Amino acid sequence: MNRQFLLIFLLLAAASLSLALGQVSVGPAALWNGLTGGDGAGALTVQILRGPRVATALLVGAAFGLSGSIFQSLLRNPLASPDVMGFSAGSGLAILGALTINLAIPMPLIASAGGLLTAILVLALARPARGHNPLEGAPAVTIVLVGIGIGFTAAAISSFLMTRLTGPQAAEAQRWLAGSLAARDWSHVLQLALIGAVLVIVLLPQIRNLRLLELGSELATGLGANVKRARLGLAATAVLLAAAAVAIAGPIAFVALMAPPLGARIARTADVGGRLLAAALTGAIIVMLADLVARASLPGLQLPIGVMTGILGAPYLLWLLSREIERGEL
Amino acid sequence: MKNWIWLFLLLCAALGVSLFTGVRSISLDQALQAFIAPDNTDPVHVALLYVRFPRVIAGLVCGAALGAAGMAMQALTRNPLADPGILGVNAGAAFAVTIGALLAGRADGALLAFLAFPGAAAASVAVFALGGGLRGNASPVRLTLTGAALSALLVSVVTALVLMRGETLEVVRFWVVGSLAEARTRPLLVMSIGAVAGGAVLLAVATKLEALALGETLSRGLGTRPRQVQAAVLVAVTLLTGAAVAIAGPIAFLGLMVPPIARRIAGASLRPGILASAMLGAAVLLLADVAGRLLFAPAEIQAGIMTALIGGPVFVLLARRLSPGAIA
Repeated sequence: MNRQFLLIFLLLAAASLSLALGQVSVGPAALWNGLTGGDGAGALTVQILRGPRVATALLVGAAFGLSGSIFQSLLRNPLASPDVMGFSAGSGLAILGALTINLAIPMPLIASAGGLLTAILVLALARPARGHNPLEGAPAVTIVLVGIGIGFTAAAISSFLMTRLTGPQAAEAQRWLAGSLAARDWSHVLQLALIGAVLVIVLLPQIRNLRLLELGSELATGLGANVKRARLGLAATAVLLAAAAVAIAGPIAFVALMAPPLGARIARTADVGGRLLAAALTGAIIVMLADLVARASLPGLQLPIGVMTGILGAPYLLWLLSREIERGEL
Repeated sequence: MKNWIWLFLLLCAALGVSLFTGVRSISLDQALQAFIAPDNTDPVHVALLYVRFPRVIAGLVCGAALGAAGMAMQALTRNPLADPGILGVNAGAAFAVTIGALLAGRADGALLAFLAFPGAAAASVAVFALGGGLRGNASPVRLTLTGAALSALLVSVVTALVLMRGETLEVVRFWVVGSLAEARTRPLLVMSIGAVAGGAVLLAVATKLEALALGETLSRGLGTRPRQVQAAVLVAVTLLTGAAVAIAGPIAFLGLMVPPIARRIAGASLRPGILASAMLGAAVLLLADVAGRLLFAPAEIQAGIMTALIGGPVFVLLARRLSPGAIA
């Protein structure tokens, strides 16, 4: 049975909690008042301070979740995700480079350009040598390994650039690198919603291709798919989704890795389309809750959300690895 | 034999270039005099004895330690991608230094260097154990991914701590870049002794480690005790990498790229391989350091960045070369 409605219910619950709780908590009445356009201190907190932040969290999480889900289906490997494959490290390097040379281009553009370039680099470097069956593409593990190598190199150069910055610049860079949702307003929400909508419209007709590719490239070719083009289109969409999310919120770690398998488990759906939807919903829930914990758990201190998802996500990755080792799958 | 002579000459050249490269040009005469009859009022002697000489020794010890450790790690895990840096050593050291900077403040550089040692050691052992190394089935993919996961976790915690206390960032951001420039403030002597001890252990168990590569049953038949050999190698690797991190901070990818070349020089046998890897590691690190000093003089690119720039592509090349069957 499809249980997407359970995810939608969880999403609404997480959104309400995120809107109501924080350094100043808002009661249910004031929350309702704020959502329906009323006045008063509590309502204004909801409308001006938390509304944009929660909406940004929702969209960012959904974009990361979708991106991770596409990659994991495409490569047929639960380890595939933009952060494990080094794209986030590329974004971080671009941010630091821009801060170092005082480039007057908005951070979001720089971050997503860095992520895109890294993705192209990783996918190009992981391309199999000649003589390999051209239909098969690069093996997923090779892409992941190459991505980790590129990521480590980018991280090393980033830490070099960190030593070049002044104290305040370094602090700003550190906040950007961790990913943060602080001080986002409705214009951010609007930007991301527009880009996201376009990408989802681009994605919808490709879902059929993804379904075919999951059967294996030979079967997909037999069923009439242009495997190479389909793979390229899906990878580009996934990279752009992640880049859009990074542009607004910074490289929030591990959401794209965790959301797809969790979503599929909660929604109990096996179909590709259902899994994509579940991953988007779960990504949104994870980011909203992680942001809530990050800003409300320690009084007087706002942790960046990326720290929270890192602390939650890295043990998940370790668990995933140990499980695969025990099953002998890796 | 000819290969060994070339390797030795390369190391000597690297030592010489490193000692004589710098802002102040020093003649051979002055250098000899500084060592035979040091004169603490002569600025040339002071620069040579208290700035450049520690730096050369740091490069020698650190490079040799990482080269030997990389060779041992790759032999132990039968894995061409094994490298102390990839196994989470850098993140472990950064974590320990952050904790130290939080507790002690930024003043005490020597204390922080000492703390990097247990941090690096604990992280590498943890990654080895979590990656299935204790069960003798640490595949390249497993170890690399486990290292990446543990690094991500530690970096998250470090970021949280750094953002809570701003002044910690000022310590940590300089610490996480491996460099030989701070050698004179680091506990050079103690760590050199640690590295030499680690190297000695490694050379002593090298032939038994080779027997291990034949598979556990066969190596037992040859009279080796696999668990003890593994433990000894792990202790040695920990001593070596811990010492290197304490002296120079995290130097990325050196232990990854040196062993394949060393194997070409020394052949398949492990004990000469470790020696060649140590010599080559020292030479590469010293030359990387010199290149970093000259490239954008008077600004300086740290040796750890130089090795990452060379080693990253090498890692990608090695990862591509593994056939899908071998990594699975």
